[in-house]
Amino acid sequence: MDSNLPCFILFILVGCVKCSSEYHPHNGTRHYDYCVLGAGPAGLQMGYFLSKAKRDYIILERNSGPGSFFNKYPRHRKLISINKIHTGRQNREFNLRHDWNSLLSDKPDLLLKRVSSEFYPPADAFPLYLSTFVKELGLKVRYGVDIGRIRAVQSATGRRYILTDQHVSDYTCSVLLVATGLWVPHKVEFVGSDLVEGYESISTNPEDYKDQSVLILGKGNSAFETAQSILGRASHVHMISSSPVRLAWQTHYVGDLRAVNNELIDTYQLKSLDGLLEAHLDKIVIAQRKEQGRTRLGEKKKEKKGQLYVTLKKFLQHQKPKNSSDVTGEELPGYYIDNFSLRKPYDRVIRCLGFRFNFSVFDSSACPPKSDNAKGRLPKVTAWYEGKNTPGLFVLGTAAHSRDYRSSAGGFVHGFRYTVRAVHRVLEQRYHSNPWPSTKLLTTQLQSWILKRVGEASGPYQMFEVLGDVILLRGSHCEYVEEFTLQALPQFSNLSGHEVSDHGLIVLVMQYGKKKIDYLGPERTEGDWTKAWKSNFLHPVLYYYDTLPTEEEMKLRPSGWALPRPKAIHHMVEDFLAEWDSPISHIQPLRRFLEHCVQTDLRAFYAESCFRSALTHRKPPLFCQQGYLKRRGVAHSKQPWQHIHDAGVMPTEQDAGTSVADPAFPNCLAQAGASKSSGLKLDS
Amino acid sequence: MMWMCIAVFLLWMKSGGCTEKANTSDLMEYTAANFYEKLHSGKMMFIYFEHKVSRTISLFLVELEKSADALQDYGVLVGKVNCNKELVHAYCTEEWVLHTVFLFRGGKEFLGFDLDTVFDVNSIVSEVLFAILRDEVKYVHTDTDLLAMEKAARGKKDIVLGYVRSLGTQEHRSMMETAYVYGSKYQFILITGGPVLKHLGVNELSHSSRVWFLHCRVHSGFVIPMTCPLTLMRKPLSTLSLHSFLQLMEAPLVSEVYNDPSSVQPPQFPYQQTPQVFLFSRPTTAHLDLDTATTLAWRLRGLALLLLVHRQSPAVKTPDEYNAAYRLPEKSSEVKYLTLNDLDEVLELFTNQEREEEDEEEDEEEHSHFGHLDDEIAASVYENRGDLLDMDSITQLTSDNFHTAVAQSSLTVALFYLKWDAASMAFLSSFLDVAEGLTDSGVQMSAVDCGEWTDLCAAQPGSSRPIPFRPITAFPSVLLLRPQESAQHYRGMLGTEALHRFIMLSHPASPVLLSTQEEVTSFLQEVPHPKLAGYTPDRVLGLFETHRGAPLFTEAAKSLRGEVLTGLLTDGLAEKLAAEHSVDLPAVLVFPSWRTHAHPSALPVSNSAEELLSHINTALLHPLPELTVENLPSFLSLGKALLLLFVGEEEDEFGRRQNQVLVEEMRGVVELGGRRMEPYLACWIHLGRTPAGMSVLGSYLGSMPPLPALVLTHLPSRGEIYQYPPNMPIGAPSVLQWLQRIEDGTESAAGLLGEDSWPPAVKFYDFLKIMDMQEPNSAQQQTPEEEEEVDEKEVNMEEDVLEEATDSSSSSPTPNNNPHSEL
Repeated sequence: MDSNLPCFILFILVGCVKCSSEYHPHNGTRHYDYCVLGAGPAGLQMGYFLSKAKRDYIILERNSGPGSFFNKYPRHRKLISINKIHTGRQNREFNLRHDWNSLLSDKPDLLLKRVSSEFYPPADAFPLYLSTFVKELGLKVRYGVDIGRIRAVQSATGRRYILTDQHVSDYTCSVLLVATGLWVPHKVEFVGSDLVEGYESISTNPEDYKDQSVLILGKGNSAFETAQSILGRASHVHMISSSPVRLAWQTHYVGDLRAVNNELIDTYQLKSLDGLLEAHLDKIVIAQRKEQGRTRLGEKKKEKKGQLYVTLKKFLQHQKPKNSSDVTGEELPGYYIDNFSLRKPYDRVIRCLGFRFNFSVFDSSACPPKSDNAKGRLPKVTAWYEGKNTPGLFVLGTAAHSRDYRSSAGGFVHGFRYTVRAVHRVLEQRYHSNPWPSTKLLTTQLQSWILKRVGEASGPYQMFEVLGDVILLRGSHCEYVEEFTLQALPQFSNLSGHEVSDHGLIVLVMQYGKKKIDYLGPERTEGDWTKAWKSNFLHPVLYYYDTLPTEEEMKLRPSGWALPRPKAIHHMVEDFLAEWDSPISHIQPLRRFLEHCVQTDLRAFYAESCFRSALTHRKPPLFCQQGYLKRRGVAHSKQPWQHIHDAGVMPTEQDAGTSVADPAFPNCLAQAGASKSSGLKLDS
Repeated sequence: MMWMCIAVFLLWMKSGGCTEKANTSDLMEYTAANFYEKLHSGKMMFIYFEHKVSRTISLFLVELEKSADALQDYGVLVGKVNCNKELVHAYCTEEWVLHTVFLFRGGKEFLGFDLDTVFDVNSIVSEVLFAILRDEVKYVHTDTDLLAMEKAARGKKDIVLGYVRSLGTQEHRSMMETAYVYGSKYQFILITGGPVLKHLGVNELSHSSRVWFLHCRVHSGFVIPMTCPLTLMRKPLSTLSLHSFLQLMEAPLVSEVYNDPSSVQPPQFPYQQTPQVFLFSRPTTAHLDLDTATTLAWRLRGLALLLLVHRQSPAVKTPDEYNAAYRLPEKSSEVKYLTLNDLDEVLELFTNQEREEEDEEEDEEEHSHFGHLDDEIAASVYENRGDLLDMDSITQLTSDNFHTAVAQSSLTVALFYLKWDAASMAFLSSFLDVAEGLTDSGVQMSAVDCGEWTDLCAAQPGSSRPIPFRPITAFPSVLLLRPQESAQHYRGMLGTEALHRFIMLSHPASPVLLSTQEEVTSFLQEVPHPKLAGYTPDRVLGLFETHRGAPLFTEAAKSLRGEVLTGLLTDGLAEKLAAEHSVDLPAVLVFPSWRTHAHPSALPVSNSAEELLSHINTALLHPLPELTVENLPSFLSLGKALLLLFVGEEEDEFGRRQNQVLVEEMRGVVELGGRRMEPYLACWIHLGRTPAGMSVLGSYLGSMPPLPALVLTHLPSRGEIYQYPPNMPIGAPSVLQWLQRIEDGTESAAGLLGEDSWPPAVKFYDFLKIMDMQEPNSAQQQTPEEEEEVDEKEVNMEEDVLEEATDSSSSSPTPNNNPHSEL
């Protein structure tokens, strides 16, 4: 509520701008070409692109300010997305590789570093940043609109989405962009789950955990964040979930446990009363002990009130009433296994299992199905983030993470800011016939351009194996399309508006190695470019196809691959500095790969070599065709050119009859030639 | 069968050489009559005319005697004539004959050899055979000549290329003996070192003789650009080793078998001394396996024979764990099985042994394919990687300072470069040189590192002020920036001199407004900048009654800025000048640098600036240009056939005058030919000033002809090159007649232009192939069933510590319960 004032002012401003065009009756209907649901980072990012393209759009937000999720979460108020301000580089595109919080815009300084200089910024900085983003870009956001129902209708003009808010006002939209994020706490039902506290409501004051024994359900970042905050107060912190901890620095997935939160691993391994356990949550039971066997008076009082026991479903005696989670001693595992790990009771059990998508507002006509992965917590979307079965409804941001769940960065700001841009490009092509932006390059310039992208591009770097650059080969030139959604490659022409010629295409992807290795061991890197395909760290990979892969080929792609088997593949060997510009290890192998793809010699030649090949061949090599023949040949730089001017006093007789070409010219060249060896070495 | 005969023949010759002492007692001595009889029968004879016997001579005679047998095998009679007894005219009377031995052929003297060059059996046999085979065995001195030979041989003959460290040695003899036998089958070439060795990647300082086999005849499936793939003979050069090497070159590259390696026969004659390598193929990857085998076979050529075993055959019993096998000749015919991760391992098997004997250069050669930069610009930039470029002399333009920096100077020259682009870096040092020469000139020389200032180079304004150019997509690019004006692209040569000249010439306004006669005179006669002294620029004057009509000219002048000096005249002054040159207003006068100011070309004012520009550019072209590296593109773009005269470098005034006469003759051709000459551009190349022309001429004709040489090349849609008869004096009428004969199709071509396609010079490194080999299936598309398995595997891998600790028997496969993570 603290940032209310600026937002309120903004609301009025936005409202004023809009009042001429929008009539505001209760129960009235307003139509927009684009409705964006949610003013979080994804919604605002889409808002920026829609606003830049001057589209008819509105961003609807039920809270009073942008990014309200971050007013509450993360509970312990520290963002773990890095805000690396000092990179030693001035390249703004490159710097976004190390800025995980900022959104994309054409304002070079509209970055999170404006509101926080901390490497892990405080959570409050983020809504503040988002407000600045809205304000400076003049995005149209309507706050306080709580959409409770979304349905789709088919009309003569096409499919429309009708959104109904808390005042029963309707908004109709041709395209609905759902950027509501994930905010419904994910719960697992098991016996005793009602005894469990949730991450969303626990106390964040460590003093409240003094000398308590705490069991945390979950091993993700929120679980560890919680554990870390109470480590100094609680007596025991145990964490349980079905799978072992996955460390982000081993999996390269930022949703796995980040080192910034992993202090508990230390205390576990150093045997300091904390611990990690694996069990399927639907097999366990949390219960209080039944007050039984009160033969000895007063004993009941010795036991702390309300202590929680962990037992397993199979030990429960079935005749119990369903709701009661009290258990007897015979129902505890310790009764059967004397060294059972969780035989001691807990003072608290905390659920930190993350969040799920809110499916409840969608009418069946507009509801995207649940994804197969992520325990169905996310909607299922196409490779271009359109809901499956809901054309015209796109899912943006964290909610769209089912596409790259547990593999890339699509669930996080630094990843989805790029996928949002990709979706916007799909919209521009589909609804406005504006093909994806592309750069036309001479084929001889392609190598340099690829090296440039590989050296700076942040989209494919963050959204590795999800977004990749597509290079359409066209013979002497090519068309460079940036950051296409790889899984949609079979639909490329349709989605991007660019045709693939029979010269084929190259896809540039950044990817990690697929092998599980000792991540800090001596074998972790590969330096030999001929073994580049064994690179473990993020490195560029180029796939060459002579035609677009089909859906079928995409489906049957080699296990673990982002793309189907290509005609030819090229790995650029991983680099410690992540700078892929070494002449022998990076550039020359890349050139030879490109030469293979275009079946043409792509070497650069000095003017003199071009002169020779232009005279001895019907056409010189491509580099000479595109440079030298256009009078832009590359001269040897080691010419003693200064002498030309010193010796420049030439007889300037200008006799039309006998003069044979400009005398100054050849003289210069004679000097130049003298310093070089000729092609035809007769006696050497 | 033929092989067998040749082998026997060679072996027999060899043994003949060993036993020569036993069966030749005396050197054949010819009487005069005898000599003449043999001579007139056309026999080849190698005869020494003996006058007096010195110690040297008698030693020679012993060697000559020894060589008689060897040469007899090649149909050469060896003997002497004793001049003291017999008198053969001339040969027995002349004094110099004393030191010479003669080869007769076809009834007359063929060649005389100085005794210094034929001093023992080897030198006698090699030199005599070399003389006899001089039409078959070519001598090549330069890489260009070699390329021309390869070009000629492509599709017809394979080439055997020999480097012998000196003539007259055992190695030379082996080469010649082999050439005698195989001369019709292969093209034999002898090189003497120098550039050709370098071209082949051999350090010249290594003194061992070598032989290469150039596979020019067939090239199926293997990318051959300019050169034929080559195989180096690894054994020391001898007649026998060369013979077996050539046989190996004839062996099939890959043989496919359906038997287990252990039951495959050891190699048969003539390959019995050659190891066998087995690779295995499966039906599913048959095509790929064959590719792999072929690649390896190319690398093993001359070392081992490659056999591809089809595993699907029931006879193949080799366990799956092995993917290769080999059999060495000397050991019993036992087959050894291997599991390879890398093809190189096979190669090592057969090269290791030799590697030890060879020096380091061999290593270099092996790796040269991957380790050396084969791009000449990249290589030269790489060579200078130790030098730090001094960037202090230029302004670094950034997104932040761009507008202020450009506003500060009336002219800013900006180089847009990428550090990893070799052409950018090669040009950067030229650019810095220009900058150095322009200090205190008022020109701001600057550079933009587009790897860093990516938004500036993409012309994305960081602020509200627009960027005065379009996104840069080609590197290097040079822009000329003036405050409040849109940028001008520099479109000249990327070199010090051209850029410097351009900047100097773009100093004056374009066009300059000329309002007095003095200004006109100075415009036409003075160079615009003292630094350009000695350079004659092209000039263009626009003559207009008023400023009306001038905008078109002004626009054209703007785009000519830096290349041509342009001036604008109006009113009375314009009329006066128009009258002087008897043209009507408005008019454009072009004063090319190659012509006196008295005779400008007058152009009408066109309808569009582009049209005017192209008229001006055409008027500036010399009608009989001397082609240089810099100006060739302007003339090639005319699309005419080139009537091209090559003249040599003059050593003195006489030579200079002669060359001038030649050029005058060419002018005569143009004048005499008139309209007939329109499809041709008469031009010339001075090989002294443009040495690059030498290899052009060499490649046109296959070798260097005597100079001057006149050729006709670049005929539209034809690749033929015609050479004007070298022995005929170059004169206008005869040149025209020659052209007529070419048009009539009665002249035969002297050479061919190269293709216009340039396939990659080096094969790329096929990662896919290597993955398939080292981790089969990892890069293969899945089959539909496989796809489903993946998920299950993940589940099974999950361990359930807690369950295990409680009751291991109850742990059952659980349904996939994807562990959660934090979002």
